[in-house]
Amino acid sequence: MRIHQYEKLWIVGAMILIVGFIVTITYGSVGLGITMIGDEEETVAPDELNDDEQFGEPRVEQVGENEYAAYVVAQMFIFQPDPIEIPANNEITFHVTSRDVIHGFYVPGTNINAMAIPGQVAELTVEFDEPGEHGLICHEYCGSAHHTMEGLIVVQPEDEFDLTELSAETSDTVSSGEEVQLNATVENGELEPLETTVDAEIGGQTFQQNITVDGNSTQDVTFTVESTQLGVGEHDWTVTVDDYEETGSVEVVSNETNETEGGEES
Amino acid sequence: MTALFVDEYPAEARLVKATFLSAFIAFGIGALFGIIQALHRTDIFRFIESAEYYTVLTGHGIFLVIAFTIFFLVGLYQWAVTDSLERGPVDIRLSWLWYGLMSLGSLLAAIAILAGFLEQPPMVLGSELRANVLFTFYAPLQANPLYYIGLALFFVGTWLAGIDWFRTWWAWRDENPGERIPLRTFMVLTTMIMWFLGSIGVIVSVLVFILPWSLEITESLNPLLTRTLFWFFGHMVVYFWLLPAYLLWYTVLPKLSGGRLFSDPLARVVFILFVLLSTPVGIHHQYMDPGIAEGFKFIAMTNTMFLLLPSLLTAFTVVASMEHGARQRGGEGRFNWLRALPWRNPAFTGMALAGLIFAFGGFTGIVNAGMNINYLVHNALWIPGHIHAQVGTATALTLMAGSYWLVPQLTGNRLVGRQAALFQVVLWFVGIVFMTNSMFRAGLVGVPRRTAEPQYQGFDYDVGVGSMGELNAQLALGGTLLFISAMLFLVLMLLTVFNNDSEPIVDGTLPPALSGPEDSPQVLDNLRLWFGIAFVLVVLAYALPLAGIAAQSGLFGQDIQPFPVSSEAVMYLEFGLDYVGALVT
Amino acid sequence: MRTLRRGYLIDGSGNSDMDSRVSREIGHDEYDPWGTLSLIVVYFVALTLMWLFTYFVEFVGNTPTVMGMIVPVMLG
Repeated sequence: MRIHQYEKLWIVGAMILIVGFIVTITYGSVGLGITMIGDEEETVAPDELNDDEQFGEPRVEQVGENEYAAYVVAQMFIFQPDPIEIPANNEITFHVTSRDVIHGFYVPGTNINAMAIPGQVAELTVEFDEPGEHGLICHEYCGSAHHTMEGLIVVQPEDEFDLTELSAETSDTVSSGEEVQLNATVENGELEPLETTVDAEIGGQTFQQNITVDGNSTQDVTFTVESTQLGVGEHDWTVTVDDYEETGSVEVVSNETNETEGGEES
Repeated sequence: MTALFVDEYPAEARLVKATFLSAFIAFGIGALFGIIQALHRTDIFRFIESAEYYTVLTGHGIFLVIAFTIFFLVGLYQWAVTDSLERGPVDIRLSWLWYGLMSLGSLLAAIAILAGFLEQPPMVLGSELRANVLFTFYAPLQANPLYYIGLALFFVGTWLAGIDWFRTWWAWRDENPGERIPLRTFMVLTTMIMWFLGSIGVIVSVLVFILPWSLEITESLNPLLTRTLFWFFGHMVVYFWLLPAYLLWYTVLPKLSGGRLFSDPLARVVFILFVLLSTPVGIHHQYMDPGIAEGFKFIAMTNTMFLLLPSLLTAFTVVASMEHGARQRGGEGRFNWLRALPWRNPAFTGMALAGLIFAFGGFTGIVNAGMNINYLVHNALWIPGHIHAQVGTATALTLMAGSYWLVPQLTGNRLVGRQAALFQVVLWFVGIVFMTNSMFRAGLVGVPRRTAEPQYQGFDYDVGVGSMGELNAQLALGGTLLFISAMLFLVLMLLTVFNNDSEPIVDGTLPPALSGPEDSPQVLDNLRLWFGIAFVLVVLAYALPLAGIAAQSGLFGQDIQPFPVSSEAVMYLEFGLDYVGALVT
Repeated sequence: MRTLRRGYLIDGSGNSDMDSRVSREIGHDEYDPWGTLSLIVVYFVALTLMWLFTYFVEFVGNTPTVMGMIVPVMLG
């Protein structure tokens, strides 16, 4: 076959380009460690996600010393959880699936780009070098409100990030003379123990307790106040741990009558 | 003066004109939808609901890259086979049959799509008549069965067209034993082999999985499987769009340039490479998908990079042919010969500008193909930038330019408005430069594709050089220029068709190549061999990934419910319980 | 038997065939597309530069990027 010498030269040039592209991409993979989303994750049943260990409760959890997992569910037309709060300078592995149709999982301005396919779990590991907020959008058409499907990734400074959860409660009403028990539960989702202080304030009185919550466990704290010290009536209370606050109120009712109307207050 | 095609082959000319008519109608509607999108997504002028945008977008895709391109292809290829074999089809009734099926199929699909504009779409075949599922129709999004049936009929039509041309070739071969296949027919036959092989994926996906599921014959499907079967087809189809343009660039553009095709053998090699490599690369559209191993993605990437070769070869051969013409016209120097080309000829200029854009768009395709670098661009506005440079210009502009040369020969009428035609092709070029410049840059900062409103609440795009306002303005401006150019083209076609008392000034004879088929080994014409190798490559690329996907969740998935897409918020109510429950947690 | 037909006129007789004013014939053995070669070299260089920029500046600079969980051998 007669091929002109110049064209033969170009065939060589074209092959050099092609090989060059492949080499660059391979370097990105092997040299820089850029990994493609693969098929290592187990499949899930989209209509049984609520029972799934990972996706039943979409959340961020710590899985290693500097490693976190974020279990994200995409559905028409939201992401769960929203916002997704993660620490900077830690390895975050997103596990992403869909509850219904094919969605996208895309953080504009970054290379965080994946598909959320019902039945499949996309696994991608990234690290944010700096704190900040990033929009999270769906970039695969998923229905008439596709363009509203937006979430948020909040990257917090490493030393400010925690997986602490606080809940607190009292009875709604307490009879005068009895004790008011303010129960606070502090959950530590991190692997490291959490040393912190629980502050409570009720009816003008303040309390404080230092606690240490082990990794991945909870601790209960109870503050007790005599209802006679508070007096009859409604009293607001506040419980604070780090940046978390819970509020509520308790009503102290007089003993003399069990009726809510009439009667005199002592 | 040699006889015009319409005089030599009046029956075939009638068929080609019919296909072009269908193509141009689809083109007009698709172009109208395009300008609506350009103004809507940039928030410059919104007169439809954003939910309706997706009806428009589905129409834009189907009318342009299924109807326009493929109707034109079958017309062009019918001309090419007839003219190069110097004979008509074995039985022209088969030809009208395939045209009829394609027309019926595209009409049904169009009805399903356009019904999306109705407030109360009628019930057809058991569900609401609508198809807001876009050109890719990814399940579990579900369209009305009519949409899938329409597309299936259209595909049957194209298959019959391929069979029709093979029959014509076999009949010619019986009367011309031992002769090399004329180049244009060779291109037609290799294109159709590629089409047969690659369309298997989407045909299986629709006939075995999606259509029965939409008719409630089956209850579930595997979304990753149907998506993968689509992309088995989805890369090959872009070459189905491109190869008609290549046919014109290889066989007509040299003549328009005043020269001869530099190498017939290399043109054959290029088309064979497309037969071999177009399909086993489909997974490069799924780099971001879970459920497909990185190893398969790497193989798709290397295959795709080798698929660059036929296009890079084309660049050399076509430009060398143009240079030959330029020098025959008196052009001299290293680059000055470019000025000697017939730039006042709209057919020439359109094709040349299309090729120029294609060369740049090719770079963007290399980025898309680059496995890990695909993270940068997947589903961002960069992708439509690539699409509009390639099928939107390399193909569409070449087809329009080719029409200026071919339609006079099909009608026996002189082209009306040669100056206007030249303006039209240049206007297209300018429009594309603006629009794709905006799309590529916006894509790099993260603006998504396929959305009615890329403006979000919780963040701003970090635009860097320029601003969102300027990007939006360029996109809208470019889109507007393209729309005007498209309408101008259609007007000129219409005027030409009615310009009855005139004679064309074009001459349909094509000079022989500088290096003819006799300079190449006979094995190039062994179509069976190339089909066989192509088949093996497809099996190697797809057997394991498909088996893996089917093994993971089953051939029919796990209770995957359909999501018929409605333009109203009714869907929220319809699926309300599940969503309220999920939202509360 | 097919006859060789010219696709254009070489005696420059006016406007026939849309401006193909061919002034000389160049056969296969006399033709070297050195203009094309020059253009294609320019294209080669352009592609190379655009690729390197897009890969190493646009892409690698667009962090965060999806990485493997095992630190790669060559990183350092």
